Amino acid sequence: MSAARNPVADWALRLALPVTLLATWEVSARAGIAPTYLPAPTVIAVAVWGLMVTGELFTHISASLYRGLSGYALGATAGLLVGLSAGLSRWVRGAFEPLVALLYPIPKLAFLPVIILWLGLGHASKIAIVSLSVFFPVFIGSFYAVRSVNRTMLWAARNMGAGPGRSFFQVLLPAALPEIFSALRVGLALSFVVLFAAELLGSQSGLGFLIVLGENSVRFDLMFSGIVTVAFFGFAADRVLLAVRRRLLRGQMIGKEGGLS
Amino acid sequence: MTLLRRLAVWGPSLWSIPLLLIAWQIAATAPGASRLMPTLGEIWGAFAADIRNGLLIRHATVTLERVFAGYALAVVVGVPLGIAMARSRTFELLFEPVFFVGYPVPKIALFPVFIFIFGIGTPSKIAFVFLECLYPVATAAFFAFRGIDKRLDWAARNMGAGLARRFFTVLLPAAAPGIFSGLRVAMPIAVVVVIITEMIGDSRGLGYYITIASATFRYEKIYAGIMMIGIIGFTIDRALHLLRRRAIHWESLQGVRGT
Repeated sequence: MSAARNPVADWALRLALPVTLLATWEVSARAGIAPTYLPAPTVIAVAVWGLMVTGELFTHISASLYRGLSGYALGATAGLLVGLSAGLSRWVRGAFEPLVALLYPIPKLAFLPVIILWLGLGHASKIAIVSLSVFFPVFIGSFYAVRSVNRTMLWAARNMGAGPGRSFFQVLLPAALPEIFSALRVGLALSFVVLFAAELLGSQSGLGFLIVLGENSVRFDLMFSGIVTVAFFGFAADRVLLAVRRRLLRGQMIGKEGGLS
Repeated sequence: MTLLRRLAVWGPSLWSIPLLLIAWQIAATAPGASRLMPTLGEIWGAFAADIRNGLLIRHATVTLERVFAGYALAVVVGVPLGIAMARSRTFELLFEPVFFVGYPVPKIALFPVFIFIFGIGTPSKIAFVFLECLYPVATAAFFAFRGIDKRLDWAARNMGAGLARRFFTVLLPAAAPGIFSGLRVAMPIAVVVVIITEMIGDSRGLGYYITIASATFRYEKIYAGIMMIGIIGFTIDRALHLLRRRAIHWESLQGVRGT
């Protein structure tokens, strides 16, 4: 549409907003204009470094990652298996579809008080709430993914003599995979939100706890260290999932992307 | 008539819900049952009582006000922003880092900062809902406008339509399904976020209702609160569905996935 643009100018524009924001923040914090709960970015960076040197940060990271990953793995696996079978079998669909329709609109975090009373403040309650929250979007995504696979492809495969196993693994699953991945991505984002909310609400370790600790002890540099680390891991996890998706869908991305945009 | 016919079709496939309720009731009335599982009668009693004395209604109203205020703000800002990003390269470059780096970042971690800036009450919730909903709304509007078939616009221009006319009669309707799917994604996020933030710190709203119920060991009230949230979530989702069908009546519902 427009003529070739200067790549340097493009990058300058891209960086304009973040750099201005950070610079204003830094200057106003140094000058004492900013309120005390907004320490300068450099002060936060020093705090993150300090927590890394003492190793305290890594204890919190490992606690959060352990909960997040096991919760996500459990919830996503269950959602995927049940969702796929619901897409394939009328019986499973009959059992789960109404239940999911009933429970889906309820924020699963509302069950957190009950789950904490049940499983305590440790790892178990977080893993449970994360997997419960992840189950629903993954179930719905894989269910619809299977159902929206073009039936003609399945008929063709069957016509050419593919058994049920082969038509599942070579036709159905690859065709459903792009949509399954979008559901997995939604679930991943949700698992982070739920995990940190659960850690903010009741916990004795983890990055969410670090944020609350910093807040309660008026150590805002600690609070922001927690926030920065959470942001980093949320971003990194999403990138990892996208990389996996690119690898797995290498063959069919072209056709699918063309259909999308 | 149609309701009856629908029941005849759906009735047999709904067996799992009564099954779940019966299983719950058996588990709750069994000797040595956990206090965490009140009977259905107790839950319903708590729900009915707090509806009658207005407690649940009052908290639900507070929650809904926050949901809609933040959501409306996000739509009013997010849709034009997404459109501007799709139409202007300068805007796109300016906001690209904010949206594409910020999207997967769990923004809930920022909520403690929001409490400091906006206080513990309604403003911090509205601001946070705005932030959380802005992302799906703006990116959906961006991709919807990007995905418009160029030939539609060319044809309109060719036939002498001005910018305003092209925008309102060609571009906006063409992008509407995509914009609506962003709105639909953002709505449950708004509800969840308000409830979560009310659980973290507030003295009003359904999230607070549940927290106080669990702090005072009134388990039947926890479930009454969850029930209320479920009803609200379901109603809002249906309402949005109907609105979409009215607003984009020309599009079959199956045809719009992924746009």
